[in-house]
Amino acid sequence: MAGAGKQVSIELGHFALILAFAIATLGTIGGYAYWRSGQRIAMVLSQAAILQFVLVAIAFLALIQAFVTSDFSLLLAVNNSHSLKPLIFKISGVWGNHEGSMVLWIFILVTFGAMVAAFGRRLPSDLLTLVLATQSLLTAAFTGFTIFTSNPFLRVFPAPLEGNDLNPVLQDIGLAIHPPLLYAGYVGFSICFSFAIAALISGRIDQSWARWVRPWTLLSWVFLTLGIAMGSYWAYYELGWGGWWFWDPVENASFMPWLAGTALLHSALVMEKRNALKIWTIFLSIITFSLSLLGTFLVRSGILTSVHTFASDPTRGLVILALLALVIGGAFFLFAMRASTLRQGGLFAPVSREGALIINNLFLATAVGAVLVGTLYPLLLDALVGTSISVGAPFFNLTFGALMAPLLLVLPFGPLLAWKRADVVGAAQRLIGAAALAIFCTILISALGGVSISLAPLGLLLGFWVAFGAFAELVERSRIGRMPLGESIRRLVGLPRTVWSTALAHFGMGVTVLGIVATTAWETELVTTLNPGETAELSGYTIDFDSFGQQPGPNYMADEARFTITAPGGSTRQTLADRRTYVATGMPTTEAAIETYGFSQLYLQLGEPLNDTHVVRIWHKPYITLIWFGAILMALAGVISLTDRRVRVGAPRRAAKLASEPA
Amino acid sequence: MIFWLIAIAVTAIACVALFYAAGPRLVNAAAPELDDANSHFRLVLSGIDADVAAGKLGEGDAEAARGELAREILRHNAEATRTRRARGELGRVPLLGGLAATAVLALVLYAMLGHPEMPSQPLADRPEAAAQSVDLESAISSIEKALAANPDDLRGWTVIAPAYLELGRYDDAAEAYRRIIALDGATPDLQTRLAQSLLFATPDAGSPEAMDLLRAAAASDPLHVRSRLYLAAELTRRGDYPAAIAAWNDVLALSKGDEAWLPAAQQGLVVAQNDGVDPGQGAVPTSGPDAEMIGQMVSGLAARLAENGGSVAEWTQLVRAYLVLGDTAKAQAAFDSAVTAYPQAFDRGDLDSLALGAGLTIKGATP
Repeated sequence: MAGAGKQVSIELGHFALILAFAIATLGTIGGYAYWRSGQRIAMVLSQAAILQFVLVAIAFLALIQAFVTSDFSLLLAVNNSHSLKPLIFKISGVWGNHEGSMVLWIFILVTFGAMVAAFGRRLPSDLLTLVLATQSLLTAAFTGFTIFTSNPFLRVFPAPLEGNDLNPVLQDIGLAIHPPLLYAGYVGFSICFSFAIAALISGRIDQSWARWVRPWTLLSWVFLTLGIAMGSYWAYYELGWGGWWFWDPVENASFMPWLAGTALLHSALVMEKRNALKIWTIFLSIITFSLSLLGTFLVRSGILTSVHTFASDPTRGLVILALLALVIGGAFFLFAMRASTLRQGGLFAPVSREGALIINNLFLATAVGAVLVGTLYPLLLDALVGTSISVGAPFFNLTFGALMAPLLLVLPFGPLLAWKRADVVGAAQRLIGAAALAIFCTILISALGGVSISLAPLGLLLGFWVAFGAFAELVERSRIGRMPLGESIRRLVGLPRTVWSTALAHFGMGVTVLGIVATTAWETELVTTLNPGETAELSGYTIDFDSFGQQPGPNYMADEARFTITAPGGSTRQTLADRRTYVATGMPTTEAAIETYGFSQLYLQLGEPLNDTHVVRIWHKPYITLIWFGAILMALAGVISLTDRRVRVGAPRRAAKLASEPA
Repeated sequence: MIFWLIAIAVTAIACVALFYAAGPRLVNAAAPELDDANSHFRLVLSGIDADVAAGKLGEGDAEAARGELAREILRHNAEATRTRRARGELGRVPLLGGLAATAVLALVLYAMLGHPEMPSQPLADRPEAAAQSVDLESAISSIEKALAANPDDLRGWTVIAPAYLELGRYDDAAEAYRRIIALDGATPDLQTRLAQSLLFATPDAGSPEAMDLLRAAAASDPLHVRSRLYLAAELTRRGDYPAAIAAWNDVLALSKGDEAWLPAAQQGLVVAQNDGVDPGQGAVPTSGPDAEMIGQMVSGLAARLAENGGSVAEWTQLVRAYLVLGDTAKAQAAFDSAVTAYPQAFDRGDLDSLALGAGLTIKGATP
């Protein structure tokens, strides 16, 4: 049987995907038809969700096996693999293309569905049925799309002896990490979406609903944060432009769900704690996942041309657009029909924690709008009028920056305000320390750096303000300085993890802002021609071009340039920048040499050979790693918040234990 | 067939699993809904108590929270009574119907889209890819056994003869071709193969029989290329250059311009014209009077190319000659001149791979 299984693994994978489609289709119909029918349908759908996960996993593994064994009877492997490719890129090559990435998307979708089924036994059965039916609907839609328009299991006969290899830019560890993380983020929000749809259909929406949704929101948000940060770092080191964010439509496509997801995270908080903002939270759940779908559509339809666009097929674009219209349109129709029947909850004064979170939501939602307009306007104009315009970084920097600055300004106030009704003056008093510290640091750095009058010190001030302000709540609640230190530490340790995670996430935001400001304001760049033996200097670093030579890789030839970098402090490091030409495709890539000094980086890129010499681009990027470091802190904060008792539904044991502890 | 068995088994397992999931509730499905909700509310309540106990919640706040929870429970119960009326557990008929529809949908869709008859073909298991490493010896020995029992098996000899040639067993190959000719009559192809086997068997001595066979093959088919190629090559090897030049020209006359053997034939003609010195091959002496002569010839070619230019093939010849003579500096210089003369990599063709393979570098050209 095992031998036979190996013989038919590709076809078995194909069949598994089709069976998953069939189960999802019937599950959708059954779920919506019988959601009032109690436990039995919920149990069947739970089982169906787990089966879908198993079946899609089989399909996914079949593809991986075909790639790993260089089975060129599979068209996908012919087009995207090569027998000489290192194993890790054979595996990641499975999703380095349109069809395979759709299978990854579906795999993550059904993984989340199976998680709901596994952890959702305590959910009210009608809610569980509706959530799983909606997940099944999404699975059916995307599996159907994949099977009928982008089937990864197409075969070739006779099979060629060699494949065409994967786009060299994608032959990087980044491909193994970035898409799965990003998709986990995108797709995770489908759970929030399904919960929102279930709430709208059943009319059941209360605090327990918010408690259920919040961990999924957090989990997806953590993945999306890491996915975007990883994508940004990958583009930074692989594309060789030295930039970390380009306001590229594809980047925006992942950034919009993040902004909306961040807003959702905060509004779900209000709903969980105060039973307020219900309709808005539902609306945001729908919006967030719709933006994820929009992102998928923009990237997968071939409307945009970028490293993410694998194949432009107008039919696919139309089908995704139809799916998008169906899912989003259906959701909003439902929302329009049912939202008015939902009961609004908890009242609060404008100045309160709730009010602050509404401000957060307003700014984030407006930012989503600005990015959405900037991203879609050129596309629509091109499609409708045929005029091609480009909305570039200046537009986004201005509008987005203008929206974020006030948000960051009021951010530290939020956690210090009490629920229901708060004292803004009191909060301001408690922030004086943070403000003073931020001003001091800014002046110190500006004075040391000899900064001229520009926006940079203001940016720094904002970054420090957010970073230090994040700890104000910790200081306040531990009463440091007003109590014996031991007591304060005991209080700190005893604080709920959500308080810590809030502080850490906001601190991470501040760190990212600092990184952005520093690298934008003080980046230096040098483009020069160098020959081996020659030396360049930039920002106190001395770069010696030691040697140049050719070196064969597993599936490429590399022109290698070796450099010695002498840091201002005198330490030296050897580094290597190369240009690779891939054997199968003849395509070149550049691999920059990146050396990290503290939080700063020196970035060397070897350009084209030019009449007996080499073009070398060198950047000094002060504190650039803070950008990603801050993102990692934010994600870490999300994980900490996930482990908090409050968001782990169904953990009464821990609660009982806490209760028995002496206060 | 085996595939369909697996597919049907997988479908059956899935359907049974789904049916089983509905099973334990078939007996009693009385509103566990409310229990669910109640346990949830109890959880919330114990959470509030825990917060109070841990000092995270003031007594007043806790009271308010409990009040809110109580209102929530009342609302929930009212709602539950309202919706319970619409209930009716999922029956067996729709469940079985749904499962049947799932199975039919999956199997029919797959029958339309799939290729159940196509096995997986991992590269390592492919006969074409494995041809080089496949156990040829054992295949041959089994054919040999069959031939020993039945020496008149034409098909057996026809299969085994090229295999012998491939494996370098030239005497056996010659014997096999002799058998084929004896059994099936002579054709120019068979005569050429036999001659090839004989020549390969005695690479230095030459073989008059082979020459006769080749001449006979060429004579019987005025368009037969293979025999003429071997003839010319053998004449060149024996040092009969005038005859060789004629023979090479004879072959080249049959060319349409795109044959795989054309470069080899042109090369052969050049060698014959140079009285047996191949400026491109390693078989040249590198010392003694011969080397001196070769050196002069190469420098003659270099001077001519430097003065009048020449084709890529001639430049390639020159670079190769220098490389054979071990003069890398001059090879690099010749290559540089060739790159200057033909700046497009496309035009230079194999010259680049020759040069880069020998460790030379490309300078000053567009990539």
